[in-house]
Amino acid sequence: MSERRARRESGAVRHLDLLLMGSVLATCALGLAMIYSASHARLEKQGLDPLYYVKRQAVFMVIGVAVMGVVMAVDYRKIRDVAPVAYGLLVLVLAAVVSPLGTRSKGTQGWFQLPGGFQLQPSEFAKFLLIIGLAGFLYQHRGELDAYRLAIACFIVGLPLALVMLQPDLGTAMVIAVISIAMLTVAGVRGRHMLVLVLIGITGVIGIWHFDVLKQYQVDRLTSFLNAGKDTQGAAYNQDQGRTAIANGGLLGQGYLSGSQTEGGFVPEQHTDFIFTAVGEELGFVGSALLLALFALMIWRIWRTGAIARDLFGTLVCVGVVAMFAFQIFESIGMTMAIMPITGIPLPFMSYGGSSVITCFACVGLVANVHMRRFS
Amino acid sequence: MSASTAVDHRVRLSIVGVIVAALFCALLTRLWYLQVASADTYAAVAQSNNTRVVYTEAPRGRILDDQGRVLVDNRVATAITVDRKLVGKQLDTVVNRLAALPNLHLTAAQITTELANPRASVYKPVPVALDVDMNTLVYIREHSELFPGVAAASLPVRQYPNGSVAANVLGYVGDINAQELAAKKGTDYQPDETVGRAGIEQTFQDDLRGTPGKEVVEVDAQGRVIRTVSSTEPKAGHDVKLTIDLDAQKVAEESLQQGIDAARAQQDKKIKTKFQKFKAPAGAVVVLDATNGSVVAMASNPTYDPSKLTNGISNDQWAQLQDPANNLPLNDRALTGAYAPGSSFKLITAIAGVEGGLVTGATTINDTGKLHVADRDFSNDGGAAYGKINLSRALTVSSDVYFYSIGSRLWSLQHAGDPKGNIIQDTARKYGFGSATGIDLPGEYAGRVPDEAWKQKIHAQDPKDFPYSIWLPGDNVTLAVGQGDLVVTPLQLANAYVTFADGGTRFVPRIASEVDQPGGTVARTIAPQTAATTALDPATRSVILQGLTGVVADSKGTAFGAFNGFPLNQVSVAGKTGTAEVGIKENTSVFAAITPVQTPKYVVLSLIEEAGYGASDSAPVVRRVISGLNGMPTPPVAYIPPTNGN
Repeated sequence: MSERRARRESGAVRHLDLLLMGSVLATCALGLAMIYSASHARLEKQGLDPLYYVKRQAVFMVIGVAVMGVVMAVDYRKIRDVAPVAYGLLVLVLAAVVSPLGTRSKGTQGWFQLPGGFQLQPSEFAKFLLIIGLAGFLYQHRGELDAYRLAIACFIVGLPLALVMLQPDLGTAMVIAVISIAMLTVAGVRGRHMLVLVLIGITGVIGIWHFDVLKQYQVDRLTSFLNAGKDTQGAAYNQDQGRTAIANGGLLGQGYLSGSQTEGGFVPEQHTDFIFTAVGEELGFVGSALLLALFALMIWRIWRTGAIARDLFGTLVCVGVVAMFAFQIFESIGMTMAIMPITGIPLPFMSYGGSSVITCFACVGLVANVHMRRFS
Repeated sequence: MSASTAVDHRVRLSIVGVIVAALFCALLTRLWYLQVASADTYAAVAQSNNTRVVYTEAPRGRILDDQGRVLVDNRVATAITVDRKLVGKQLDTVVNRLAALPNLHLTAAQITTELANPRASVYKPVPVALDVDMNTLVYIREHSELFPGVAAASLPVRQYPNGSVAANVLGYVGDINAQELAAKKGTDYQPDETVGRAGIEQTFQDDLRGTPGKEVVEVDAQGRVIRTVSSTEPKAGHDVKLTIDLDAQKVAEESLQQGIDAARAQQDKKIKTKFQKFKAPAGAVVVLDATNGSVVAMASNPTYDPSKLTNGISNDQWAQLQDPANNLPLNDRALTGAYAPGSSFKLITAIAGVEGGLVTGATTINDTGKLHVADRDFSNDGGAAYGKINLSRALTVSSDVYFYSIGSRLWSLQHAGDPKGNIIQDTARKYGFGSATGIDLPGEYAGRVPDEAWKQKIHAQDPKDFPYSIWLPGDNVTLAVGQGDLVVTPLQLANAYVTFADGGTRFVPRIASEVDQPGGTVARTIAPQTAATTALDPATRSVILQGLTGVVADSKGTAFGAFNGFPLNQVSVAGKTGTAEVGIKENTSVFAAITPVQTPKYVVLSLIEEAGYGASDSAPVVRRVISGLNGMPTPPVAYIPPTNGN
């Protein structure tokens, strides 16, 4: 290693975005606390360790930080250069999971079974790889996004999207779509092309709706928020209980470990996708607003990194991560408050789940990488 | 180019930023709306979502006699309870182990049924066995690992220190049924509540019940209790203090039983074809306070053991209680029995005769043993002729002819359209016949005072069984001696004698005098209540009372034999026998007494079905009750062989 390079690297570490790291770690800490609150009572009743999920999530976070470190250590321009490899890996993994190599859980063929009872959810990592792959392609053809290249970009997005839909994992598919639209927009897709894309998208959605591609339970889940409160035992049960929990929090909350809906286990999947309901009930409006502020700070730092990035690849990576986080936050919180349909999307750094946590850390690592090396 | 695209990227990046900011604003707005703006609405939803109220039944109040002696108490029964949280295999194991305990006498199926009882609260342990013996309890406690979720609990259970004494008055308790629960909608009555089912337990239910304990618990989504939010202890019900005196009640019940036993040992000489004893299936004794109408004792026979009805009753036992062959022990004969009063009704006819101006104390009638009315002979009992007799003498010897003639003359007035013709019926109603007395006990029968209007009505309803719609002379003649279609209850009859004895005030018979708080502080007093007053001329009263005194004291009096040897000089008694004919059945034996004569303190009435003359059976019963009331020796009731006069 040359002396100049060593100086450059140490300079890069000096440019670490402490606000971003601070907001991420604070969110993680809150996440651990809320996972405990949402799961300990149920675990105790089953005679299990009340810290079971908390301990596992802590392990995931340590792994996540390590992965983030690795992602940060390599200059992002090197990553940029191997973007097609990342994309190839993405397609391979997604194809493998829908093949007999993957396992089914809750009606979705979306996991690899690992030793030690751990499961890997490749569609989470797909988001990270797609951001790199798509940013690499758009960077390579910056300023020349004509219809032909746009079509290729659409194919690049469409292939993993189709594989995710095969599982089917509607939530991740939506995230991938949103990430792609945001990146394409910032990359400079022309207005009329965008219009055509939107029309194709609408046609596709109508087509899916009409030709019964979705299962009835998916339709029910997606539309239940439109008539919340009418069907409190069926499809809308989760949403109804979640909204009740949040409303029960009031301004100041019921107090940590004192929310009757949360401690009573009324909200299904509360330590994973519905984790926000625990925050809402026990910490109230003040605590919820504080969490939103943490997220806003995180996103603002990522967005700012995109704005000051040294090249378009860096900008697009940040846009992709902003879109991913913003949409996941809006969807995961919005569905608990009945303003968004129910899909299984984790709340970044909060929801229990190893694949999600590690992916989020990897994404933040990518952004930090761009931030650190904006002057070099 | 690159500069322009850079600007282009910046603008587009800003658009992304604005959209993200908008999304965050949307979340924050929605959050504010849910948590702050409409918090009250949703908070209520959460409250009802996860809190449940568990009620604990309060111990019922006690029922006391006039001196505060306990008639109905609560005892603590040791119960074994099973936790509702047990499920699946664990539950099966526990149930089978409980069923295997020999002293519980329970099958696994019975325990499972009990646990599945939809009326028991889901949030508290279910009692599966009551009155568990100590050995079993100790065994379960020492082997608690074999019986998870099984616990011992103490439950208040109704207890009757005096056995079946006053059972028909006290009533019994039972689990509330669906109808009763529906009627209590909007109150805190619970599906597993115990309620009064008869007697005082029923009419004073609200006083006796108390306030249930209320525990608000928080439950989880599976309905399991997490913690207690608030709790209030159950408050025991109020005690009800009766006017009934335990000693008087006991002597009344014993005497009635002895009277019935005595009759059953006697040959019924009316039946000439074979040797047959009196059936005497049932009877009643009523003792009223002659000064205010309070019930001092009220016995009904046959009776039942209320403790058998406390913890649920087997179908067999219930069927026995409901079987007419066992003479329906649950029926309180004093209130619900429908009887012809016979000659004991002559009191009313006598008052009516004087007040209607048909006779005076001095009016004599030549009793030849029979009276010819409308082509029919109406005879005295046994055809006895009493010669020239006045009103009081007619009562003493119980001359039918004297009262027949009053009935007959009144019929003529009725026929002529004179409203005075109905004076027997009018007087009967004034003295409380034909309507419920209003006593604070359930199921009272109103009785019937027949007249032309009633006859027309019943004929219109059922022309086959009641072919005549017109009030015939015979109807009025038989009414005058308490026969025919006249129907009274023992309580009505006794109360009419109180009205006469006190000079014209008719009371609502009072059964309870006080409701006390658990510590003994009086919650409310129940004063004697006047139902009506009727103007009774003291002279009239005196003449009639003289006749009634003769019934007991005069050697020709119908109850002279029954009171032979009774110290009338210490405790004076006036009375009237009644021997009511009941179709093909044997006569009802009736005796009503007023004692002491000058300043009446008690009215004592005995009525025994199918037991022969009033003088033979009921008069000795009343004699024994009066002895008891006055603290005199009470030798067993002796059946007095009939002479003449009813």
